[in-house]
Amino acid sequence: MPFGLLVPAFLAGLVAIAAPIILHLRHREQDRPQDFPSLMFLERLPIRTWERRRVTDLPLLLMRVAALALLTLAFARPLFQRPSNSATSARARAVIVALDRSMSMGRTGVWTAATDSARRMVASLAPADRAALVLFDDEAELAQAFTADHQSLIAAIGRAQPSARGTRFAAALREARQLASRVHDAAPELVVITDLQRSGSAGIAGTEMPANLKIRTVAVGAADHGNISVASVAVQRLTSGQRTMLSVQARLRSRANRSPRNVSARLVLNGRESGARVVAVPANGDTAVVFDSVLMPGGQVRAAIAIDHDALAADDSFHFALKADDAVRLLLVVPDDVADEALFFERALAVGRTPIARIDRIGVGQLSPRVLQGEDAVLLWDVRPAQSASASLKAWVEQGGGLIAMAGQRTATRSQRSALIAADVIGNIERLGDRGGSLGDVRVEHPVFAPFRTASASLNDARFLRYARLEPAAGADVIARFDDGTPAVIERRQGAGRVVVTAFGFESRASDFPLQAAYLPFIHRLVLHSAGRDTTALWRTTADSWVLPRAMKEPVVLTPRGSIVRLKPDSSGASTALRETGIYAAYDGRVQGEPLALIAVNSPAAESELAPMDARDLLLGVREAKIATADASEVPTTAEIEGRQRLWRLVLIAAALLLLTETVVAGRGWRGVGSSAT
Amino acid sequence: MPSAPASFLDPVLLARISDLGLLARTVVDGFMHGHHRSMRKGSSTDFAQHRAYQPGDDPRLLDWKLLGRTDRLYVKEYDADTNASVMFALDASASMGYGSGSVKKFDYARFLVASLAWLSQRQGDRVGVAICTTELVDVVPPSARHLQLLLHTIARSKASGAGTLTQAIERLAHMVTRQGVIVIVSDCYESPDALGRAVDLLRMRGHDVIVFRLVDPAERDFPFRAATTFRDVETGARLALRPDDLRAKYTASTAEHEATLVQRFASSGTDYVLLHTDQPLDGALHAYLDRRLARSRVR
Repeated sequence: MPFGLLVPAFLAGLVAIAAPIILHLRHREQDRPQDFPSLMFLERLPIRTWERRRVTDLPLLLMRVAALALLTLAFARPLFQRPSNSATSARARAVIVALDRSMSMGRTGVWTAATDSARRMVASLAPADRAALVLFDDEAELAQAFTADHQSLIAAIGRAQPSARGTRFAAALREARQLASRVHDAAPELVVITDLQRSGSAGIAGTEMPANLKIRTVAVGAADHGNISVASVAVQRLTSGQRTMLSVQARLRSRANRSPRNVSARLVLNGRESGARVVAVPANGDTAVVFDSVLMPGGQVRAAIAIDHDALAADDSFHFALKADDAVRLLLVVPDDVADEALFFERALAVGRTPIARIDRIGVGQLSPRVLQGEDAVLLWDVRPAQSASASLKAWVEQGGGLIAMAGQRTATRSQRSALIAADVIGNIERLGDRGGSLGDVRVEHPVFAPFRTASASLNDARFLRYARLEPAAGADVIARFDDGTPAVIERRQGAGRVVVTAFGFESRASDFPLQAAYLPFIHRLVLHSAGRDTTALWRTTADSWVLPRAMKEPVVLTPRGSIVRLKPDSSGASTALRETGIYAAYDGRVQGEPLALIAVNSPAAESELAPMDARDLLLGVREAKIATADASEVPTTAEIEGRQRLWRLVLIAAALLLLTETVVAGRGWRGVGSSAT
Repeated sequence: MPSAPASFLDPVLLARISDLGLLARTVVDGFMHGHHRSMRKGSSTDFAQHRAYQPGDDPRLLDWKLLGRTDRLYVKEYDADTNASVMFALDASASMGYGSGSVKKFDYARFLVASLAWLSQRQGDRVGVAICTTELVDVVPPSARHLQLLLHTIARSKASGAGTLTQAIERLAHMVTRQGVIVIVSDCYESPDALGRAVDLLRMRGHDVIVFRLVDPAERDFPFRAATTFRDVETGARLALRPDDLRAKYTASTAEHEATLVQRFASSGTDYVLLHTDQPLDGALHAYLDRRLARSRVR
């Protein structure tokens, strides 16, 4: 087995061996000399130090030189080389076929052209040539590793299908780079078969590819890039008496069409067509389609907008999901003797044609487990419930309920500590003297303050003349503070639910907050966030994942194609990647009955933009890099590689032993022997 | 290590040396105690100040001219009698900077000179100092008022560079014309004969000469064990040795040097005191003053 070096450049370190030799020859002492007032007496003594030391130091010199040589050798990483078989396959080709399977490749004729190109590529290979198949959309998948079995490659191409996902060439290039790095007995080639969608070029810049990798692009896109798709949907609920009506508006996007045309659009709710419209769509531009209001179906609603199919049918349907009763059910717990303190608050939640909350109002004495049933959130209006009610309220929160505790005059004047509330109320702060305090430090990234991310100054307008001094409990998070640094809003996760405490009241007695513009959006977001509704979206895209509600013990997901996926929740809950377009349904335990949650998934809107780019643009920003290659036909395992390089450890140990010996010998004063001779 | 002049006047140190002064006043005739015989008979002629006459003052001290002009009684005061000049020659070569413990030889020498100068000043002697290497680096002429200057001078002096004490002593001999006491503080790393010739020059000019030789414990005991390269702090020369094998020869060589010095200085009538820097300073002074006492009895 021949012997080699992994990093022979380190052999340059052998020059360092000259150092101890030179020092020795020049008789320079490397240790620190001992200062002495005068050598006049010592110099008179007959000592022959020069000749004797040269002889006696020789073993030390040899040990030091050997240790340095071994250290240099260890750094050069000696290894046993295996005989190479590259000579026998020097002329073989290694071709990586990267086949675009993004949603846009499903356009009529394009996928067929792509697979035909891939098959032709395989057919053109010599028998000794090897090829690998990479399928990519916004991710890359190695469908077939390097093989000389061309029939396996043809079969892998036949099994490939267009997906519903977007395009990202960078993913394919990275996978190809990995494959190419294992080829060293042939010049690797990469053939990218794609429609060269411009939107897929994101992320290519800066990608490093091996310098010896030849990259070739096969464009299979249609000459006509015209496409009409449903880009987005907007939904509005309208309350009409006891009924809730649904108003749906879709936005159709037309790109690169030769002429305007009329398009038929249909609204489908729970599988039934609930509206239809025919709209004139321009050659290039967006068109809004407003459907007639329809009665909102009960329960969870699976909805879709479908338009006439064109050459790319995958983006002609747009899915979305919503709950029939979307209003938050808020239980307002007020002191028994209070009449209209909550007027501002209730009016704020009642604003609009689609109120965000339905308020059930009870006195604090009426709070019981029974009244909590069906509620999404509870607001304690400057009250603290009795101990028994607190226990049931705590259990309700831990099962997913949302609790808002408003610390007003009553609770603040009596210092209270409660395991239920996320903060201890330890008195009042009067700001009458300085004309009231304001909100100073607000975490605008928090969902409660989402409306103020670009207008945080509006929060500072409110003046608070009196507010409670809060002491955050363990695990609580201060999301807003007053200008004097005391907490204003505190949140704590509690089981599957959450508790939000405010140090100020929502009435106008101690502040002018209800009179400020920030009051309405703050109250809305506070109620929605407490009820766990601030993450609801009508639809997601195939690039997203779905985090399931934490309340689910055994989450099961039914995919649009009918597959059942059982998820294992961890500390942060359960999540699943959304790879298919359509409606995903989540169940707890078994797939039966009404799903606990629905989510609609569509392809990214950018995938409907079929404008191609120049093939040369694909490689703009790609950098060439010399990447170490290995034998792809027989890639050694990690253990084998480690075993072949193990020699350096032995060399290093030998050097260490030598240095240790040298230290012992030198410490015993070997040199001093010479001075005793006279 | 204290180095400011005030540190030389440490009350604790001075109290211990004051005990020696009591001994010296009664035994040593004027030497370092202000009881030397004055070179001029009678009172000092150095006028100091006028003072109002107090009952009991000697009427002979009245300033009659002033009484005649102002009709007031004043007595004239003169500087105290100064009986001898004491010149300290402090070796400041680099070898004096050596110290195996916390006290270097040069520090010890500064304590010694300061203490003796203070003692001399209290007894009315004029004190001066010469900082010596090969040249006279710094010289404070003897004076009854130069104690503070002397203390400052030795406080700021440092032991550095090569030095040849014999040449410095010869220069000092030419410079100090008034007869007095020359106190040489050195480690005497020179040929005893050369040192003897230099001291003879001082003796011929009428000076009393006292040589304090300072030796560090490491120079005395040579305690080194491991094979070591020794470096001469003055010349920078190096010598690789195994001290264990050389200790006996070294101590014999230093003893021979010491004996030669004692013999050479004794032949020229020079007092010689060997001081080790690990010994208390008062012990060293005791030894010295005892020797002076013995000499006075011989006289």
